[in-house]
Amino acid sequence: MSETNTAAFFRAEGTLISSGVLQAAAYMASQRAGMRERLLRFGQTALAAPIYGVLGQNDRTLGNRVAHLSYRDISEDRVAILAEEYVEDILKEKILDSGLELMKQAKKEGRRIVVISEGISEIMKGIEPHLRYVDDLVCNRLEYKDHKATGKLIDPIVGGYDGGTWLKDYARKHELDLERSVAYAGHGPDLLLLSAVGEPCAVNPDFTLRKAAKEADWPIMEYTA
Amino acid sequence: MTFSIKEEYAGKHILLTGGTGFVGKVWLVMALSRMPDIGRIYVLMRGKGRSVADRWIKIVNENPAFRPLHERHGADLSKFIAERVEVIQGTLDSPQMSIEDSIADRLRENVDLIVNCAGLVDFNPDVRVAVSSNLDGSLHVADFAASCKKAAMIHVSTCYVAGTKDGFIPETIAETTPNGTPLDPEAEYIRLKEIIEETEAENESEETIKTLTEEVVARLEKRGYEPTEKRVSGTVGRLKSKRLREVMSQAGTDRAKELGWPNTYTYTKALAEMITKVRYPNLRHTVLRPAIVESSLEFPFPGWNEGFNTSGPLIYLSGTWLRHIPAKAGNPLDIIPVDLVVNGIFIAGAAVMRGEHAEVYQTGSSDRAFLPIDRLTELSALGHRQHLRKTGANRVEKLILSRWDAISSDPEHMLNVSNIREVVFQVTRYLRHGRPEKIPKEWKEEAEDMAKSGDKAQRKLRQIEEVLDLFMPFTYDHYMVFEARALDKHPIAEAEFRFNPEDIDWRKYWLECHMPGLRRWCFPSQYENKETETYTPEVPFVMLQAGTAEPLPAQEAR
Repeated sequence: MSETNTAAFFRAEGTLISSGVLQAAAYMASQRAGMRERLLRFGQTALAAPIYGVLGQNDRTLGNRVAHLSYRDISEDRVAILAEEYVEDILKEKILDSGLELMKQAKKEGRRIVVISEGISEIMKGIEPHLRYVDDLVCNRLEYKDHKATGKLIDPIVGGYDGGTWLKDYARKHELDLERSVAYAGHGPDLLLLSAVGEPCAVNPDFTLRKAAKEADWPIMEYTA
Repeated sequence: MTFSIKEEYAGKHILLTGGTGFVGKVWLVMALSRMPDIGRIYVLMRGKGRSVADRWIKIVNENPAFRPLHERHGADLSKFIAERVEVIQGTLDSPQMSIEDSIADRLRENVDLIVNCAGLVDFNPDVRVAVSSNLDGSLHVADFAASCKKAAMIHVSTCYVAGTKDGFIPETIAETTPNGTPLDPEAEYIRLKEIIEETEAENESEETIKTLTEEVVARLEKRGYEPTEKRVSGTVGRLKSKRLREVMSQAGTDRAKELGWPNTYTYTKALAEMITKVRYPNLRHTVLRPAIVESSLEFPFPGWNEGFNTSGPLIYLSGTWLRHIPAKAGNPLDIIPVDLVVNGIFIAGAAVMRGEHAEVYQTGSSDRAFLPIDRLTELSALGHRQHLRKTGANRVEKLILSRWDAISSDPEHMLNVSNIREVVFQVTRYLRHGRPEKIPKEWKEEAEDMAKSGDKAQRKLRQIEEVLDLFMPFTYDHYMVFEARALDKHPIAEAEFRFNPEDIDWRKYWLECHMPGLRRWCFPSQYENKETETYTPEVPFVMLQAGTAEPLPAQEAR
């Protein structure tokens, strides 16, 4: 059956990739120029981890801001090169085949494949070809000044409750029928994203989302590969 | 008004000097590749111990810059070149450029444009050599151009004639020294010749000979040799020649610095510009000043480079365990790819032939695509990282050296090259003379091997240190932005000839063109004691007899 004018929305983290933004930030911090910088930024990422974890159950906007602070003063060139390395050495191996299967199926059904990620554009653009079926990628963007990251993310930040509002705007712009669209996500802040479509599915959900999915009687999928 | 480079050069006869240098070769190959309708190109060459024909054949057959021509024309290349290029024996260090009279007369009649790319790029050479090449040579070319029936001239100089100045450097020929003193260039030319004569006389003075003789006698006696007159006079003669080269180099540097230029190269280049301007007011000529000419963006192929270059030592250093690069963060290093410089020469050449030229055209990037040296240092470190992760010789190189990021730092930093060389020297000396007497024979042999490695490392470090010192005015001492707008006054129809540094993606250029280019074409000969790679065409180029397909007998080409 062809599902024209419909989309399949995938939250990358937990659904397509088993690695999140903190791992990426830690990798970048550990590869800064000079030992002092490496220690400082790695420590910053380590401190951000519990904050991100606590906030992660609800709105992740602030969590993402904190997690990306350690990018401050890193050059655009270094981010680009390290992103390539990170994708090739680490992230490629973290792609979940079951997630790819879901994308393949949705593509076969004629849906527009939209991947939403909290990751930064340099990394996500690198992994995009490996996800094979992506029509549109929405991710976070680092702010740069004079070729150096300021440590801030450019608004709107992906990962917060805003996802649901954003989704409706996106559907309007692309003339998508959300009632017939599907969405796959696994975190608490994705509640609004999932509830905006007709066919939501919780994938490897965290505590908050699992509870909500059960209450709403949404299907729940579990996979580790 | 927009004009077409191909149309402007169609049927035009060009005399090219410096056609065997880095810029000159790219100019020549690009002209032949992109302007098949160009008239005759007369390439002025020295034989350098062989016939010019033999040298020309060797260059066309072995130099990688000629690869696009071989690939496009294959077996027909000899005919293609014979129809367009005439190699002429001559040197710039004598009037009429030592060209045979009959040929010179023909050139005076025919030539439309003289492109003078010749020059000595050595920063602090024997001042006599610098004057002969950069000053007298340029004036001889201008003199020849002035004697031609219709020739215009473009003189390739350097942006760094601006000297030790800070700030925005306009596209004009200065009338003062860089330190602001009004300068009569003709008087300065005479003064420079006097300095050379005085230095020569000083080297021949009784006092110098007496000092050298005493030194030689003392040295011979210390080594246990009898100081015979023959032995002493022979050694003094050799020392005198060596000393003359050193004092001549120093004399040039001292005069340059006194007036505000960082070295003899920029000083003599600046004088050549100034004197040509005042001596040949009626000559249709222009000056093209490239900044630091580096690897090609696209032509003859991405990353082509050869010989001495500025960023090479910095990049090489950033890939070693020495991570402190003497450079001031925020200062520009004005790098410009050679093919963009050649595009600039074509545009300025067309403009001067049309009589619409500016006095000076600067081809740099700092005004339009600013590249600070700290970004360049980081890009170099990242380039080495990428390279070593894939091709490092061992795990230490792959895992540690690849992450040993170079950073811009103060020249006086504790871990600068000079201090590290001193440490290596002390360790080497200890291994050779300070080690305990009673150690096993194998240990002694091991120590001697390590000392030999130490010697090698010291030599390499000294070489790098000297080059870094030479470049310090540009990498640390001065903040210079070279205006590069005059070429924009001549809109060009063909995109391939445009001068567009603002379109350079520095990261892509540095990591995919420049660094791989240096690794392949420059580092082997400069730092690794290896032969530079040459090109071997499937069908070798031969010189043909005029109007035939027969190869020219070697003796006739001489």
